[in-house]
Amino acid sequence: MGADDTYARLLEGRSGIGKMKYLKSKHTDFPVGEVPFSDDELRDILFIKKDASITRTSLLGATALREALASAGLFPRDKSWKLALVSGITVGGMEKSEQYYYDFLHTRKRDEYIALHDCGACTDMIGQAYPFGFDMLTTISTACSSAANAIILGANMLKMNRTDIVVVGGTECLSKFHFDGFNSLMILDTKPCRPFDKNRNGLTLGEGAAYLVMEREETARQRGISPLCQLSGYGNRCDAYHQTASSPDGEGAYQSMMEALAMAGLQPSDIDYINAHGTGTPNNDESEGHAMMRVFGDQMPPVSSTKSYTGHTTSAAGGVEAAISILALIRGFIPANLNFSEKIDSLNFTPVTEVKQGVELHHILTNSFAFGGNDSSCIFSKIS
Amino acid sequence: MEQLIEELKKEIIEVLNLEGMTPADIDENAPLFGEGLGLDSIDALELIVLMEKNYGIKLQNANEGKEIFKSVKVMAEYINTHRTK
Amino acid sequence: MSIYIQSVSHISIQKPLSEEWMESPVVPDSSFMKSQEPDYKLFISPMEARRMGTLVKRALATSLDTLRKGGCEMPDAIISGTGLGCVEHTEKFLNTLIDNDEECLPPTSFMQSTHNTISSQIALRLKCHGYNSTYSHCGTSFDSALFDAFLQLSLGKIRTALVGAHDEMTPDYFLMLSKLDFWKTHFYDLEQLRRGEESVSISGSCSLSRRLSAEKQESTLCELKDMEMFYRPGILQSQHAINDILLRNNLSIKDIDAVVMGLSGDRDNDDVYYELRDRAFKNTPVLWYKQMFGESFGASSFGVYVGAECLRAGRIPQHLFFFPEEAEKFQKEPRNILVYNHFHDKDHSIILLTK
Repeated sequence: MGADDTYARLLEGRSGIGKMKYLKSKHTDFPVGEVPFSDDELRDILFIKKDASITRTSLLGATALREALASAGLFPRDKSWKLALVSGITVGGMEKSEQYYYDFLHTRKRDEYIALHDCGACTDMIGQAYPFGFDMLTTISTACSSAANAIILGANMLKMNRTDIVVVGGTECLSKFHFDGFNSLMILDTKPCRPFDKNRNGLTLGEGAAYLVMEREETARQRGISPLCQLSGYGNRCDAYHQTASSPDGEGAYQSMMEALAMAGLQPSDIDYINAHGTGTPNNDESEGHAMMRVFGDQMPPVSSTKSYTGHTTSAAGGVEAAISILALIRGFIPANLNFSEKIDSLNFTPVTEVKQGVELHHILTNSFAFGGNDSSCIFSKIS
Repeated sequence: MEQLIEELKKEIIEVLNLEGMTPADIDENAPLFGEGLGLDSIDALELIVLMEKNYGIKLQNANEGKEIFKSVKVMAEYINTHRTK
Repeated sequence: MSIYIQSVSHISIQKPLSEEWMESPVVPDSSFMKSQEPDYKLFISPMEARRMGTLVKRALATSLDTLRKGGCEMPDAIISGTGLGCVEHTEKFLNTLIDNDEECLPPTSFMQSTHNTISSQIALRLKCHGYNSTYSHCGTSFDSALFDAFLQLSLGKIRTALVGAHDEMTPDYFLMLSKLDFWKTHFYDLEQLRRGEESVSISGSCSLSRRLSAEKQESTLCELKDMEMFYRPGILQSQHAINDILLRNNLSIKDIDAVVMGLSGDRDNDDVYYELRDRAFKNTPVLWYKQMFGESFGASSFGVYVGAECLRAGRIPQHLFFFPEEAEKFQKEPRNILVYNHFHDKDHSIILLTK
């Protein structure tokens, strides 16, 4: 948890994937990427009362949000600047609803969780955990690309002067619903996920939350804040191929990367590192790999999927991976892709298998794709 | 065998929600995927659930379905050999 | 950059894909009102429909209908608002998970439970590779989707957008919300809603698609002039926001011919609007729509629809006036209409429509 801890773990090659501890599924043979804190421990961290009704999705979100706001000088905040929150959430309060569903229908117990079930209610709880308040809230729900799309909406709001500062990202906790859902699609690996490996056999479901604070350059200057980096380009495209599968040539992914590059005014050769979506499912990695080959040809920049550390944090993934990309950019390292051993036949590249330190990075591309072909890409660049 | 094929056709129509179709519309030798019935990977997953629920056959990998779901007849033969209920 | 609402299609308590509610609205007779369904075979083949729940069918039918009306084949963006996605499928998966102890779960239901399936199945049908997104933020899910389209059209990133609001009400979900006092008393007539003394709103399912574009057409309903969203504003801040939006569009409160409010008959919900009426809209006629289209996470989309349709028609039907005495006095052709929406007094939105 936190930027420094994440940095240390990425350097050591220490993955957070392991046995289930808090998720109460009977399918214990699958590993998961759990946040190593119970609900009560998270409540303590946040100074929330033990008996307060709150979903784990909101607890994770509020914890990440607090770190993001504090490091951006918004704890407390100057109310003369408008502040908005855009959060990506998909199954929201389901982890509690699946426990209390019988009560919802047949008893008068646990009624308070009915109102906390939906995605918007989870964002609302996260917003309430910030004592200085937001001027606007909304929730994006595009499954595994939710947080990336939150970044995109936030950027458009800033460009149109509809807010001065915007907090963007996503949160999702593990639930039986989500876990069993992925299992019903038979895309969970019984081993920790092996992105871009020939013998990969599915993803590892994770949980998490991450938020970025974005503002226009002049706002940061006036607030006396030195920004970490610049969001130089972004793209959102739809694969429009199948309800769950990605197209063999990765058309949506290709278009979203090209759109991001065009907006940034960059050539493919300007990209120094790609933090790939790389879930470890046979379909995603092949499709994404082909899309990357279409963009970068035989000049493939270093590639890794950090889902081998975190598992697939679904709605949070775009935020978690943006945060890792920004860490890599400002601290000059390329995280490794764990669990790789053999190249995929049809691809012309292999991922980075050892962490590389002391490298000068200028532009990082990160991909977030989702069911239904909701493909988004963001480019983070060093401030010149 | 004939009976199992008929039963399977009915189950496939029901579980895949093939509105307006009758068992007579399904050729037991025609491919279920692509050209024939035009089913896709999610339908295959539904058929895997059907085999587990109704016949006690559990597949570990979705890829195994490719051979089994070649046609209703092949599927029936597979079920006949492997069923546990 | 001007932004126009080109066409709207809906499936609701009212006659589907029709503007008949302008002349002769269906009057609800219960607090749990079902939608009237069109013939989906006109839009979707049985093979295509095999995995679709009711909500996705509705979303596709309204999307295809609204695109056809304006003669648009391919929008640049598809953006939906849905508070809960396909509840039917979510309940099926959840019930099976509990009853079967995590075994033999239906993959189709899981896939259909993710909220983005609506926007993405529309894209799949249209083969549309453009921008695609989904908002799930309670009663301002639609407002958020509209805001996204508004920003991108204003920035010139897109020229056309298909923006929808899709939510369904199932018997189980209705029951759960009843426990939270959403539908406390039995509904008997519209006057009861008007008095707003109890908590009786009508629950509705909704599916509404509209097409926005940067070009004016013959079929254009109105201009989407401006909009703003804000959180827990309090009455003073709401007033400021209303003044700001008028000021930056060179309008004064006198120029606003009517204000569309999400009055529903639920006292807690309606009090916010009464206060706004007293403070900001003392002399502005108030229109309502939830008595016709019901309350749902997507209900605000009907507020914008009602305002837009009145501007297109150049008149406001009497039954839309919340205060009957205002209906009698009102004679002019409306030019500017404000739509004000809030959810639980947390998320608020103002939308300015002009002829």
